[in-house]
Amino acid sequence: MTKIQINGREVEADPKQPLIRACHDQGVDVPMYCYHPGLASVGSCRICQVEVAGAPGQPSRVVAACRTPVSKGMVVSTDTPKAHDARRECLEFLLKNHPLDCPICDKAGECDLQDYSFNEGQGEGRSSEPRRKLQKRKSLGDVIVLDEERCILCSRCVRFFTDVTKKAQLTVEGLGSRSVINTYMDKPLEGNYQGNLADICPVGALTSKKFRFQARVWNLSKTLSTCGECSRGCSISVESLRAKEVKRIRPRYNAAVNQWWMCDTGRHALAPLTRPQAPEGAVLGGRLRGAAVRGYNGLELADDVAALDLAADMLAAHPGAVVIVSPFATQEEAKAALALAQALKATPQFVSPAPNALKDDLLHTGDPCPNRRGLVEQGFAALEPAAALAALAAAPSAVLAGERVLELLGHEGLAKLPTKLRLVAFDVETSDIPALDIAFPVPTHVEKSGHWVNLDGCVGVLNVAVPPPALVRRLDLQLAALTAKLSAVPARS
Amino acid sequence: MKDFPKYLLSRVGLPQSHTLATYRAEGGYRAIEDVLKKPWKPEQVIGVIKDSGLRGRGGAGFPTGMKWGFMPDITKDPRPRYLAVNADESEPGTCKDRVLMEKDPHGLIEGCLIACFAMHAKAAYIYVRGEYRLSYSRLQAAIDEARAAGLVGQNILGTDFSCDIWMHKGAGAYICGEETGLMESLEGKRGHPRPKPPFPAGSGLWKSPTTVNNVESIFNAPFIVRNGAGWFKSMGVPKSTGNFLLCISGHVNKPGVYELPFGLTARQIIDEVALGVWKGRKLKAFFPGGSSTGLLPASMVDVAMDHDSVKAAGSMFGTAAMIILDETASIPQAMDVIARFYDHESCGQCSQCREGTQWLHQIFRRIAHGRGQMSDLDLLVSLSNGMAPAKTICALADAAAIPTLAAVKHFRHEFEECIRLGRDPLAPQPQHAPELHEAHA
Repeated sequence: MTKIQINGREVEADPKQPLIRACHDQGVDVPMYCYHPGLASVGSCRICQVEVAGAPGQPSRVVAACRTPVSKGMVVSTDTPKAHDARRECLEFLLKNHPLDCPICDKAGECDLQDYSFNEGQGEGRSSEPRRKLQKRKSLGDVIVLDEERCILCSRCVRFFTDVTKKAQLTVEGLGSRSVINTYMDKPLEGNYQGNLADICPVGALTSKKFRFQARVWNLSKTLSTCGECSRGCSISVESLRAKEVKRIRPRYNAAVNQWWMCDTGRHALAPLTRPQAPEGAVLGGRLRGAAVRGYNGLELADDVAALDLAADMLAAHPGAVVIVSPFATQEEAKAALALAQALKATPQFVSPAPNALKDDLLHTGDPCPNRRGLVEQGFAALEPAAALAALAAAPSAVLAGERVLELLGHEGLAKLPTKLRLVAFDVETSDIPALDIAFPVPTHVEKSGHWVNLDGCVGVLNVAVPPPALVRRLDLQLAALTAKLSAVPARS
Repeated sequence: MKDFPKYLLSRVGLPQSHTLATYRAEGGYRAIEDVLKKPWKPEQVIGVIKDSGLRGRGGAGFPTGMKWGFMPDITKDPRPRYLAVNADESEPGTCKDRVLMEKDPHGLIEGCLIACFAMHAKAAYIYVRGEYRLSYSRLQAAIDEARAAGLVGQNILGTDFSCDIWMHKGAGAYICGEETGLMESLEGKRGHPRPKPPFPAGSGLWKSPTTVNNVESIFNAPFIVRNGAGWFKSMGVPKSTGNFLLCISGHVNKPGVYELPFGLTARQIIDEVALGVWKGRKLKAFFPGGSSTGLLPASMVDVAMDHDSVKAAGSMFGTAAMIILDETASIPQAMDVIARFYDHESCGQCSQCREGTQWLHQIFRRIAHGRGQMSDLDLLVSLSNGMAPAKTICALADAAAIPTLAAVKHFRHEFEECIRLGRDPLAPQPQHAPELHEAHA
């Protein structure tokens, strides 16, 4: 570490890092477009210009902070007229051909060009020249669409593929003011990481096809959460429109897990989170609206306290229950399930589906169990769906608990279970399973708080991004209530 | 003009001057033989080049010996090191390296060998401008000939000095004449200049120490090694020693490439070397060193042509490519052409350069076609100050901004006249203003 001065403050800086990093580490804002801490720096946008004092008797210099190494005794100012002027000039050039279509641009509200123009730029453009006319919506594959006019050619997207996925797919085509971003040979982009382009694009040039025109970003509430698509457990930000509907999932920087990135599988896993509820009064055809009990006409909605009493009585009457939780169960839910298993004298187990083909060298582990490590550490045994179904078929009674547990066990296999099985399920949604006697709704992992432990032992946090529907209670509380009813009979009297 | 010794072009007029036989007959490869057989130490070679005061002929005028001295110590840094010869001569007005490569390729080869010896370089890469087909084939033939004669390759002249020389053909981009752009291009990538630091001597070609020199700078080396630094310093002026190749073009009676000592005035060169402005007209302005140097008005024609005097006059010596404009030439038209060149050749990395070169071109185009506004002139100055000096990765933005600033400074009245009249009074014929995309086609 070496001592430098930033805006009059003496600070310690890492001489191996560029100056911009030292500024950011100290909470000093230096704008950036081409620079991204996760990518190789090219120093081309020149927006990060700051003033560095010269040697004694020498005039100060304006330098690009992303390409200037930290050197001992450096005196840096980011807030001087000279530095502001350099950045203002740079912005004027960047805006010369920019279409300024912010009102219809998805990036508006989180656009670096917009923000820095607002902070540093001049109110009026001086150009009377015609703006460049380029392709406004060029498809780059299934995930990303490119607006060539908005592009400021920072080349972050090009470097994302060369530096992060290590498979170059994009390039700058043409020279000078005729440069555009394109894929090699006009081929569509491929791979499971394309969605990151929309995040790293500092302007609205690369936008996500799925999120395009879905919401204005200033109406989105961001909630810190963890991705559940694999055992990596990438840190994410769940963005919901007016705290009601999840509109977008984006990665959140976590040095130990996913850095700045996430895969498209996780990013686009919105369907299970935005499932509509079953029709009014119905049990099937959507999310469970409340507790359901099998009556003469199949599963029917019932009072949840009564249903819980019924479940306790049923499980007590048919000892030897099997307890299987979902790999989506949080540590807190797992703890409650453990207590239930103890009360039922059952072995705690969780469904562990086979690894999928999405495994890659970057983030995706191919293991669809986000809390595998946490569950194993708590003493749960992994159970393949087929083995689980066999155990269920032989058991007198069973409790299946957790988000997507029925789906992961396989609705088809569950439908074939003998009806003599007394089956209690806690899941988001249920299908027509003849053996199912009592079902309770649970929140999805964006509707609850809790923790998952990823494959490396890093704890990922879940927070409530959208409230669960009415009558959907926390799974750990439901399980605890059931355990209490089962074991604490003296408490009743 | 008094007579002066010549050496650079001494072999150029000879029959079959590009062959090894002619070169040998004229004392060729004597310098490298001397260096290898005596033997010289590499530091001695660098020392004599430093002593001679040779300044790079590629435009910046940086002392060549000092540049060679920047290469890291061979005992401490085991990486291979390279010499890259910049033969991508594409500065408008410059045509000197071509003469050397076409007429005297062995001189360049010997220069490369000496430079490689001095810097412990294992190979030299000559990056030839793509359009220079004859230069390429002559140089390639000369390398083959020299290789067959044991002058290039393993164990040169039976010593343990080995050095290879490879050719690389550019594909027509001006930016590949910028040293780091050239290295990127040599490595097979887009010719996008690299930010400095790291400098080429620390991390150049394939991340190894590299020195990039102009053809003419390298060409001087054998002469200095053979005749000594004192001989070299006896020519030119104290701070710009030796002779240089002048490329003079434009409105003169006898344009061409001439070998001259530093220190002659621009007036002497125009009148005595190029035999005056053509058609008996008067001089209006001249670019002293290629289109990237600020043009100077006729009133400054008595400036001495050496690095420091031209700099003091507010321009640059550049590549000594004088472009002469006579009194009938229109500065707005000339600037339209020049701005178009930089717009076309900007690599597009840096914001200021990519957008700025296009903007300058658009403004000059409008003015030259009678659609200018008075506010444009201040805008030109303001934009140029936003692009330069040293605000971008390489100097191309500066190269576009410098002539703009000079033209507006010295010929503001001419631009104002164009804007006031709504047409260019000096334009050769009735004009129509093509839109920019048309101009690019």
